[in-house]
Amino acid sequence: MEGPKRRQKILIVDDSEMNRSILVDMLGGEYDTIEVEDGLKAVGVLQRQGAEISLVMLDIVMPEMDGFGVLEVMNQRRWIESIPVIMISAETASDRIDQALELGVTDFISRPFDARVVRRRVVNTLLSSAKQQELEALVAEQIIEKEQNSLLMIDILSHIVEFRNGESGQHVIHVRRLTEVLLRALMKKTDRYGLTQERVALISEASALHDIGKIAIDDKILNKPGRLTSEEFAVMKTHSLAGANMLDGLSVHQDEPLVKVAYEICRWHHERWDGRGYPDGLKGEDIPISAQTVAMADVYDALTSQRIYKPAFSHEEAVRMITNNECGTFNPLLLECLLEEADTLQEELNGGQAHVRESQKHVLDNMADKFSQHAELSASNRTLQLLEHERMKYSFFAAMSKEIQFEYTISPSMVSFNTWGAKALGVDEIVMDPFNDPRGRKYLDGGLGEKLSDAIDTTTPDDPIVTLETKMSFDGTMRWFRFVMQALWSDDEPAQLRGVIGKAIDIHSSRSYLENLERRASLDGLTGLLNLTSAQKQVEARLKESPEGKYALAFFDCDFFKMANNTYGHLFGNELLVHIAGKLHQTIRSGDIVARVGGDEYIIFFAYHQELEPIIRRMHSALNGEDFRGFTISISMGVATTEQLGPNFKALMGAADKALYAVKQAGRGQYLFYTGNETSLKETEEVSVYANQSEIIEFGSGEED
Amino acid sequence: MTLQECYAILGGDYAEVSARLPSEKFIQKFVLKFLEDKTYGLLTESWEGGNDEEAFRAAHTIKGMCQNLAFNTLLASSSALTEALRGGRSPEAPALYEKVLADYETTAGAIAAYKEQL
Repeated sequence: MEGPKRRQKILIVDDSEMNRSILVDMLGGEYDTIEVEDGLKAVGVLQRQGAEISLVMLDIVMPEMDGFGVLEVMNQRRWIESIPVIMISAETASDRIDQALELGVTDFISRPFDARVVRRRVVNTLLSSAKQQELEALVAEQIIEKEQNSLLMIDILSHIVEFRNGESGQHVIHVRRLTEVLLRALMKKTDRYGLTQERVALISEASALHDIGKIAIDDKILNKPGRLTSEEFAVMKTHSLAGANMLDGLSVHQDEPLVKVAYEICRWHHERWDGRGYPDGLKGEDIPISAQTVAMADVYDALTSQRIYKPAFSHEEAVRMITNNECGTFNPLLLECLLEEADTLQEELNGGQAHVRESQKHVLDNMADKFSQHAELSASNRTLQLLEHERMKYSFFAAMSKEIQFEYTISPSMVSFNTWGAKALGVDEIVMDPFNDPRGRKYLDGGLGEKLSDAIDTTTPDDPIVTLETKMSFDGTMRWFRFVMQALWSDDEPAQLRGVIGKAIDIHSSRSYLENLERRASLDGLTGLLNLTSAQKQVEARLKESPEGKYALAFFDCDFFKMANNTYGHLFGNELLVHIAGKLHQTIRSGDIVARVGGDEYIIFFAYHQELEPIIRRMHSALNGEDFRGFTISISMGVATTEQLGPNFKALMGAADKALYAVKQAGRGQYLFYTGNETSLKETEEVSVYANQSEIIEFGSGEED
Repeated sequence: MTLQECYAILGGDYAEVSARLPSEKFIQKFVLKFLEDKTYGLLTESWEGGNDEEAFRAAHTIKGMCQNLAFNTLLASSSALTEALRGGRSPEAPALYEKVLADYETTAGAIAAYKEQL
C-alpha cells in the first residue's frame, strides 16, 4: 500500500503527445497522471479504474473516438456524475462549447495553456467533486455487501426444501437471521472469535445449510407426529454427521470458505458447551463459534415455532428455557447476547417484513453514522483511499466470483467487460459493435444473441431485471451460464432502451453440484435404491410417456423382519436389507424401476410383453428362500398391473399392497396377483400403504431436539 | 542565439509564452520537443495519401501545439488549413497546405539552429 501521501489521479486525453506533456509538466508535481491518445483508450481506462480517476482532461478532436464520444459514454454510464471533465480543446466554436456543456463538462481550459489557469481550474474542480465521491463510495459499499449473497446457496436450499415438506423453509430463514443477530451482538462484545462483517455474513449464509443431513433421514421418522422413540432419535441424530459428509463428499467447491463453514455448522450444531451434545461430544470453545451460534439460533427458533409435537412458546418462555439449560448448555457469552438482543429477536418473531425493514434501517443508520464522521472531509487522502479500497474490493470479488460482467450500450454500439471476463472470453475489455465484430459474433451467433435480445425485450422500465440460463460456447465447450441483466431505460416519456448491464455466471459446476445433491436426495441412504418419492416420479413419468403400455408393479416385503431385528440386532437387520437390495439388482432388467419404499418394503415396476406369471415367479424365487447367515429369507409379494388399474401409480401401489396383505393372510412366502376380491382393509391401513404398520421397524422412545 | 531570438526568427511571441508557462527552461524543453513531434510527418503523409480526415486532425494538432508555444506564424497557417480541411478538402486547401509546409520549415529550421549552438 502507498503511504498517506496518496495523490489524486488525472486522466489526460489528447492525441498530441506534446500537449499531454505540457499538461503533465504543469500538474506533475502534485498529481499522478495517466495519458492516453484517443477516446476509446480513455473509455477503457475509465472502465477499468474509474474509481481512482479524480478528473478527466479531455481533448475533442481525436482519432478512434472523439471527445464528444467519450462524453456520451460517460453520460450513458453515469460516470459523468462522479468524475468531472475539463475540456482542453483548441475548439472555440460556440455551438461545440454548448454541446460540451450539455454533456456535463465542468470547465474549459482554452489554448494556449496558462500554467496558473490550468492548476487553479484543476484544484477547484477536484475540491468540488470530492465530497460527492465520498458519498458515492459509501453507497457502493452497501451495494457490494448486498451483492455478495451467494445465489448458489439459495439455489441449493430451495432445491432441498423441495424434497422435504413443512417447516424447513421458514426455519432456514429464521435461523439465518437469528444467527446474524447473535453474531453481530457477539462481535460488539469480544474480538476473541475474529469476527468481521464478512465473516458474520458468511456464517449466516452457511447457517441455512445446518440441517441438510436430514435429507438422509427416513420420512417416517422425520415427519413423525408425536415423540420419537429412542431408536428413532438415534437415527435422527445421524443427520448432523450425514450433512457434514455430504459437504465433504463434494468434488467441487471443496475449498470455498462457505463450504468450509457449512461443514462446521452441519457437523457440530448439536454439540453443547458442556460436552454433552453430539456427534463428537466437543466441549466449550472446541466447538467452532459458527456451530455454537447456529445451535442457539436453531433451538430458539424450534422453541418459538409451532411443531407437529408442540405448540409455539413465547419469546420469554424460550429464553427462560434456554438460560435454564433445558435445551443443553451454551456459551455464557452467547447467552448474554441472547438476552441483550431480546427486542430484535422478538421483532424477528413477528414476521417476514419486519427484518427487511430492519435491515434497511441498519443500512441507513450505518450510512448516517459514517456521514457524521466524514462531514469534515475535504479532498483528502482518505477519500482516495476509500475509493481505491472500493475499487480493489469490487475487482477482487468480481475476480473471485468468476463472473463475466458486461455493459452494453446501443448507441454507440459497444460492450465492455470486467478484466476477468474479457480474459476469460479472450476479447478486449471494450468491443465496438459486438453484433458485427467477429470477436463478438463468435459468442453471439448460433442463438445466444437472439436469446439475450429476447430476454431484454421482456423488460420494462418498472421491471428491468431479467435472468436467463443458457448454454454458451466457452473455452471450446458448451457450458451453462446464468445471465442476470438489467435493462437501462431512459427517463424519457416513453422510455427508451439505452443498453444493458449484466453478468454471466458459469453455473456449470453448481448445476452438477445440485444434480449431485438431488441424486443423493432421491436415493435411499442405506441401500442406494431409489426412495419412494423419486420412484413415484419416475414411474409416473414412464406411465405418462406410454399410458397404453403393459406394466406391472410388484410390492414385497421380508417376512419376519421384525423378529430378525429383535433376534440378531439392528445391524443385522440393516445388512439384510442391503443384501436383499443387492439380490434385487441382479434380478431386474436395466429399464426396471426398483425402490425401497419403507422399512423392509420394496417395489419393482416393469414393462412386460409376454405372460406375466413366469416373470414374477422368477423374481420371487430369486429372492425367496435363501439362507442369510442362518436366517431364511421369506418374501411376500403382491402384484398389480396397469391392465387392471390403468396408468395410475397410487392405484397400483394400493392394489399391490392389498395383494401383499392377502399373501400375509395366506401364510407368507408367496406371491399373489391383485384380484379385487381381497379382504378389505381397515381405513387406517389403507392410507398407510407406504408404511406397512404391521411390519414397521420398531425403535425405542426418545425425542427430537 | 537566445530563445528569444529563436522566437523572433520563427515568428513567435516570446513575451506572451513566458507569461503563461512557468519558466524559460520549461519553454525551452517543449520548443526542442517540437522538433521530435511526429504530427508534421503525419500531416504530409495523410495529405499525400488523400486521407483528408487524418490530415485535418494532424493540422488541428499542429495548431494546438503552436497555440501553446505561441508559434504565431505557423499557428496562423495551420489554423487556416484546419478550417479548409474541416468536413473535407476545400478548393483553397492546397495553397494553405503549401503555406504550412513553408512555415514549418522556417519554424523547425530556427529551432534546429538554436539547438545546434546550445
